[in-house]
Amino acid sequence: MNKSFKATCAGLALSALMAGGALANPYEEYAGTTLIVNFPAHPHYNAAIKVLPEFTKQTGIEVEVDQLPYLKMRERQTLELAQEEGEYDLISYVVFSKADYVFADQLENLAKYFMNPKLADPNYDAGDLIDGYVENIGVAGGFKGYLPGPTGSLFGIPFGSETSVLAYRKDIFEKHDIPAPETYDQLLDAACKIPEVEPGMGGMASRAASGHQASHAFLLHLAPLGGRVFDDQWNPIINNDAGVQAANALKTIVDCGPEGAMSFGPAEAANAFANGDAAMFLDSIAFMPGFENPERSKVVGKVGYAMHPKGVRRGSQTGGFGIAIPKNAENKEAAFLLMQWLTSKEGDLMVAMQGGNPSRFSTYQNAELNEKYPFSATFGEALKYADPDWRPIIPVWGKINADIGTTMSKVLTEDLDIQDALNGVAERTQAVMEEAGYYTWK
Amino acid sequence: MFLAPAAIIMAIALLYPLGYMVWGSFRDWNPSQTIGEAEFVGLRNYIFLWNDPNFRESLGVTLKFAFFVVTLEMVIGVGLALLLDRNIRGMSVLRTLFILPMMIAPVVVGLMWRYMYHPTLGTFNQFLDSVGLPRVDWLGDHALMSVIIADIWQWTPFIFILTLAALQSLPRSALEAARIDGATPWQQIWHIKLPLMMPVLIVTCLLRLIDAFKVLEVILVMTEGGPGLSTEILALRISRTATEFRELGVAAAMSNYLLMLLMLLTLAMFAYTRIQEMRAARLRAQIEEEG
Repeated sequence: MNKSFKATCAGLALSALMAGGALANPYEEYAGTTLIVNFPAHPHYNAAIKVLPEFTKQTGIEVEVDQLPYLKMRERQTLELAQEEGEYDLISYVVFSKADYVFADQLENLAKYFMNPKLADPNYDAGDLIDGYVENIGVAGGFKGYLPGPTGSLFGIPFGSETSVLAYRKDIFEKHDIPAPETYDQLLDAACKIPEVEPGMGGMASRAASGHQASHAFLLHLAPLGGRVFDDQWNPIINNDAGVQAANALKTIVDCGPEGAMSFGPAEAANAFANGDAAMFLDSIAFMPGFENPERSKVVGKVGYAMHPKGVRRGSQTGGFGIAIPKNAENKEAAFLLMQWLTSKEGDLMVAMQGGNPSRFSTYQNAELNEKYPFSATFGEALKYADPDWRPIIPVWGKINADIGTTMSKVLTEDLDIQDALNGVAERTQAVMEEAGYYTWK
Repeated sequence: MFLAPAAIIMAIALLYPLGYMVWGSFRDWNPSQTIGEAEFVGLRNYIFLWNDPNFRESLGVTLKFAFFVVTLEMVIGVGLALLLDRNIRGMSVLRTLFILPMMIAPVVVGLMWRYMYHPTLGTFNQFLDSVGLPRVDWLGDHALMSVIIADIWQWTPFIFILTLAALQSLPRSALEAARIDGATPWQQIWHIKLPLMMPVLIVTCLLRLIDAFKVLEVILVMTEGGPGLSTEILALRISRTATEFRELGVAAAMSNYLLMLLMLLTLAMFAYTRIQEMRAARLRAQIEEEG
């Protein structure tokens, strides 16, 4: 064997090793790709945007973010996903869009990506993702079409998922010897007692603005009070006793709430609490980090965090956002790598440390996070009761949701009789379901 | 003949989208289908809307909104133009400042007014607090009035700027002659300026009316159509029907109802404009003859 042959062999071996090395890096093939992602203007995504430069540093994949208000995001996506070739490689979607997009065959089924050894990270640990969030945000086609089951598949990964907890003013509750509400009775008592003992302060700040916000606020109370929108045969049961109780609870809360409560969206309600205008705030965990931020809150250090109060059962909300790859995306594999990176243990913790909402059990157990955000422990506990069926996620939900929201807003502002109003919703919902074909097989 | 290609392109560019919308309104069409895939349902979407109380309520809100904003904007805009139609020091700066609101993006206008109407932190309630008056639930009990005020703030300058241009193009000799003849400022306005400007005023009014029927972003940001449906104008309902309810066919039918309504109003106003133009022409001829 002469020297030149040995040198050639050594060169080939080195090339092979380098090639092997290159293949060992799953990102290299996609380095230089620019992904266009559609994110909402939301605290979780503001946190996520802060960690994207780290993704680019690690992978060489550039990310451009088109950030829109979350209700406008849906409008844009409706137009974009219908195109033959879409602009977005990765989208964030509000949970109630899941059914619409899957039904319209606009999202990639994620199985083929998680089955691809070149793309799927063996350390991803999908079992660590919070089950309720995966069921609520990611799965479609199973029981009822929006819950896991033998016919279900995964279309999205939770990212910015939320559950509900109660934030309350520890100082005010201690001052007046009012117990931190553990039940709905205590919650409603406290909501109307606070304005009496603290003039100028509302009991609880809640969403109530017409449409989606009022519907969300009503449904927030419906599940713990034992209600559902439909029974198992898709018959509307929103107008039963539990429905009336939930509407009454919302009306009591708004009537005893801070000034202008009837037109509050979630941001206004959170601002009212952060500004000291209300003693309680029962809503998504996404808003809680803001209460501990001295630049945005006047109640830093005065807030206690408790579980969503119990009615006849515990049933905190599940909701928020997931991320998915559109069927018409240009860079699907690179988009999957970004999706996987953001929701990995490392990514989830990085985003959470910036104020985002964790999607993994392990993140909630992280000591560093718990030190930075003391409420994290309560959130982790609340997740045990997160109810993936607190609202139906079916293709016709948009219409039913709007009707519930408008009707609830009228209950709050025009003093409609609650039973009559809910009967009307049930009747109209039945018509919508009938037209959509839900009773065809009877 | 030379103009034919341009005319054909223009006709296609204008008529194709319109035809697409009309065709879509006869179909059970959702965003996951091409228009060709959607089932043809004839007049079903139109009949559904005719019987839909929410659509009727939105139509009522739209008519109320359009009537109040256009009337008030015309009165204030024309009044200000008459007031500022003179050569005094600093007037050009004032005029420039006055038209600033209409240069601001509607979403920003909506956000700005939403915060000014905030129940506790907003400018208006803080002012009411400072003078000892009770606070007002601007976006609750008085939501429609509040969005009307925001629209007036933004779009009165549009009326002002067109009216001022029309005023400044009036024959100065006629106004001078009237002044020499002893006509009071009010008589000059009522008998000379307004009649001469009337064709311009009608077109201005029509443009604002069309715009008022289509306003969307400001209301979406300020009230999201609530409380209840009290500020849900048709444009907002159309947008919701298309995106939230995913019923493109129904949204297209609703758009066509709006289009028909605006066409009727436009035809009526053009007919009125024609009458006013003839009157203005007669008046001009009379002034020139007397001059």
